Amino acid sequence: MGLIDHSFEDNFITTNLDRVLNWARQSSLWPMGFGLACCAIEMIATSTSRYDIARFGAEVFRASPRQSDLMIVAGTVTKKMAPVLRRLYDQMPEPKWVISMGSCSNAGGPFPTYSVLQGVDKIVPVDVYVSGCPPRPEALMYGLLRLQDKIRKESTVLRKERVIMVGQSEPTLVEGRS
Amino acid sequence: MPAVLAKWLRTIFFVDLLKGLLVTLKYTPQPAFTFQYPAERRPVAPRFRGVLRLQAEPETGAQTCIVCDQCAKVCPDDLINLGGHREPGHKIKVLDYFDFNLSRCSFCGLCAEVCPTKPIKALIMSEDYELGTYSRNEQILRIDEMYDGVAIEQYNK
Repeated sequence: MGLIDHSFEDNFITTNLDRVLNWARQSSLWPMGFGLACCAIEMIATSTSRYDIARFGAEVFRASPRQSDLMIVAGTVTKKMAPVLRRLYDQMPEPKWVISMGSCSNAGGPFPTYSVLQGVDKIVPVDVYVSGCPPRPEALMYGLLRLQDKIRKESTVLRKERVIMVGQSEPTLVEGRS
Repeated sequence: MPAVLAKWLRTIFFVDLLKGLLVTLKYTPQPAFTFQYPAERRPVAPRFRGVLRLQAEPETGAQTCIVCDQCAKVCPDDLINLGGHREPGHKIKVLDYFDFNLSRCSFCGLCAEVCPTKPIKALIMSEDYELGTYSRNEQILRIDEMYDGVAIEQYNK
């Protein structure tokens, strides 16, 4: 829908169009499995028949970024992997969303080192952060439900620009304390 | 020759195929294995470590944390920051703030392990695992969320 994005004012027709489009988008999120570490095992477990992510229409794990809507970054993003991740994100067609799964992907986890990216939101705009180390399959499904909730509220024509964190993106723990 | 003949007969009558299909058929009448997540929540294992939680006294609701700072010292990633002050009439320090950075937490449980308060542990690993946030600022848990747990959206689908 790149043609109509940011083209019209918000009115009756576009709001109803939004509802239809968002329904279609949220119920067929094809994820690109970006399994990088142990979180990938839980992501795979989510797609098994026990948890069955197909109930939310997100079972078709694509190996190609051209066919996917959702990138599930599952695991530690090293600085060597970061440019590859960004390129794959750029290759995904709009509309696209990102779920950051696990502590490593959220903030670097227990690796505050020279080789690990401190949060995947420094290179791609993240929609939902799922905490856990690794998160249970239910937690990932909860993150997916939250993303669907977010998509349901999105406006197609007045789409907000995605932001990438620049500089220090980690919230300070001692905010407003001496 | 009989071995060759037997192999030939097995191929003709699809014996291996039928053997394989029998295994599939055995699983067919069983009830569905899928666990309907948002509708039913599976109970966690007894030693499961979920998000960190502060506990108050169950009857009185009084504070159990003695502000000894041991959890903050033992945390391998320095994710806990807490403080309190002394007040006349109170035997223990009054807890002012307890900030916990969930985004980096690896759920090792060391903080809950060192917590010395008895008989009720002030700091426990709860059974909550549904943690999905839209921003990283929401992943800093303040004292209210530490007592009550992170709010969980209910999706009935």
